Amino acid sequence: MKRTTLALAAAGAAAALTLSACGGGGDTPGSDSTGGTVDPDEEITLTMTWWGNDDRAARYTEALELFNEEYPNITVQPTFSTWDDYWTARATEAAGNSLPDVMQTDLAYLSQFGNRNQFLDLTPFVDNGIDVSGMSDSLLASGQVGDALVGIPQSTNTLALFYNPATLESLGVDAPDAEQTWADFVDWSVAAAEAGASLDPQLYGTGDFTGVFWLFVQHLVQEGIEVFDADGQVAFSEQDVVDWLQLVAPLRDNDLFMAPEAVAQLEPLGGFTANLFATEFSWDNFLAGYLADSGAESLEMLPLPVGSTGEHAQFFKPSMLLSASANTQHPEAAAALIDFLTNDPEVGAIFGTSRGVPSSESARSQLSAEGADAQVIAFEEEWADVITESTPVLPEGYGSIEAEWLRLASELAYGNITVEEFASQWMSAAQSTLS
Amino acid sequence: MTTTHPPATLTAPRPSQRRARMRETIAGYAFLLPWLLGFFLLTFGPMVASLYLSFTDYDLFEANWVGLDNYTGLFSDPRYLKSVQVTVTYVLISTPVKLVAALLVAMLLNARRRGLGFYRSAFYAPSLVAASISIAIVWKAMFVDDAAVDSFLQIFGIDTGGWVGNQDLTMPMFVLLALWSFGGPMVIFLAGLKQVPTELYEAAEMDGAGAFRRFLTITVPMMSPVIFFNLLMETIGAFQVFGSAFIISGGTGAPADSALFYTLYLYIRGFTDFRMGYASAMAWVLVVVVGVITVLLFKTSKGWVHYQGDSR
Repeated sequence: MKRTTLALAAAGAAAALTLSACGGGGDTPGSDSTGGTVDPDEEITLTMTWWGNDDRAARYTEALELFNEEYPNITVQPTFSTWDDYWTARATEAAGNSLPDVMQTDLAYLSQFGNRNQFLDLTPFVDNGIDVSGMSDSLLASGQVGDALVGIPQSTNTLALFYNPATLESLGVDAPDAEQTWADFVDWSVAAAEAGASLDPQLYGTGDFTGVFWLFVQHLVQEGIEVFDADGQVAFSEQDVVDWLQLVAPLRDNDLFMAPEAVAQLEPLGGFTANLFATEFSWDNFLAGYLADSGAESLEMLPLPVGSTGEHAQFFKPSMLLSASANTQHPEAAAALIDFLTNDPEVGAIFGTSRGVPSSESARSQLSAEGADAQVIAFEEEWADVITESTPVLPEGYGSIEAEWLRLASELAYGNITVEEFASQWMSAAQSTLS
Repeated sequence: MTTTHPPATLTAPRPSQRRARMRETIAGYAFLLPWLLGFFLLTFGPMVASLYLSFTDYDLFEANWVGLDNYTGLFSDPRYLKSVQVTVTYVLISTPVKLVAALLVAMLLNARRRGLGFYRSAFYAPSLVAASISIAIVWKAMFVDDAAVDSFLQIFGIDTGGWVGNQDLTMPMFVLLALWSFGGPMVIFLAGLKQVPTELYEAAEMDGAGAFRRFLTITVPMMSPVIFFNLLMETIGAFQVFGSAFIISGGTGAPADSALFYTLYLYIRGFTDFRMGYASAMAWVLVVVVGVITVLLFKTSKGWVHYQGDSR
């Protein structure tokens, strides 16, 4: 029966998510309703892993201490690594049937593991161990692979156009307009880069954003072009890729992007966080990190430029999910841990928006309303009515084709390939990966 | 294994003797056991498994037989061909450069001078750490814009704007890293130089041969077995460079695949794209190619390597 509910939820996923409508509601259903399902006398050890930096590790440690107070009989052994090595390690573990009991997962890899039954189907725990009442149906449906619910979305994010007011002032240009088209934004960037050419250090309007695959996906959604078909194949055409890449031709062809050799010297910073680019497209929950990295006094966010229909047509993406291993010895305890991390208001306050805006109402309830957290939430509330679409269902192998896109974007930036070669090479790589 | 059976012409050993010999054999194998287990479980077993997997589409979860698809697919994969190009370029440049440097420094250190022990250690030390992760990180830091190398070159009016991230300067950077670690072959050259009889040099000098002539007609021929050994080891090593490429390129072969070494691409295919069958095929092609090159080197060695006391 639960399964039908979820299937319906998935079918009706086009519904808009409005965070503002979820305000108030101080009830904390999370931990209490699960108490019965874990045997409190059994000594249980769970393993858990996530990707992230030291800051995230400190927050998880704090959250897990709270969990341990709630469930003194469950010991959680945490490990963590950077994103780069994360999926390599998980794949190796999965091959040996030794995935951790609970792990942070990402939409890009969910079906790869889910299709091979590596994740526990959490459907039986829905509202019976894992409280999902504070979460929208369309968001919950993104944790679904086939008939199984293999991930509980922890938080959401959406793409935004960041700009640095201080850099704009140096350039002497006005901020881009929230209702601009993509072409308007390119024109704006040309003007900004031309203004910055004579400055020392030289400033730029933006970086080559066409290399961000998610942004392309978002653009296709704006244009009403299907991204992936039901069989998990690429549904858009090679010409769509060319058109997207050509969007920035006025910048690329006139050397108004910073040279890739120079960008590489900025590592680990990027052009925007080195305060050399006036704008950058990124996920809204990156705000806190960007503020810290750039040392900028303030950074502002706008919704994406509008598509040819004049609509922003943005979507919320779950920024991460929690999944349990299909081989876990303690499914109830694993579910209890996932529930606690998803719903506990204190955990919500510990993480703030560092993992994205918390997915559940109760986790949001005690979020401190100041600093970057407040700005991200305010952004999502202000623009809630332009977030009208749902995230496309990602095929197995999405992680690989996204990496290939990024690689070809680098080849394009170095001038080793043309836009047409980019499109045809990516298409053939995607076809062989997704087949 | 046949050592336990004495030649038939001998009289049969007494039973007690045979028992003792048997015990010895068992003890021998018992002592060998840790190595045998390690070899069969951790080296030979996985090698056989990877040979099988190279004919499948193994993705860490399931393996379906695909015949030669992985092998034929290699040659239509532009990134594979790029990785071959990068690696062959590296082998062809770094190996001779490193060997020449090692031989020259070894000859300098062969002279009798004060504090020679110190210099030998000082030149050898880098090769102890060159393959380490930390050196790769330091190396990268040295070559970015306005760091040590760039600042040094700016003194001479050369502003590279940083080597890291410049696809044309990637290969020189890796060759310099290889060059810096010439200590291994240098120590072997040094040992070889000590074996060259000094009377040969004395005789040549008496006959009026100059330093260069002595080097060409005495040192090189007398050292040829050592040069051959070093050439072989360094060539094989250069084909397998991985750690520094992985660190300096951030595991991706960046910038623009100019650091896409063979083993790095193998790793990317296997552990980032989870195409283990393809990666296994790559590994076996490398084994065969390195094997063939080794055989070829041995064949050519007959023409230029002279062993002392050899009648040829």
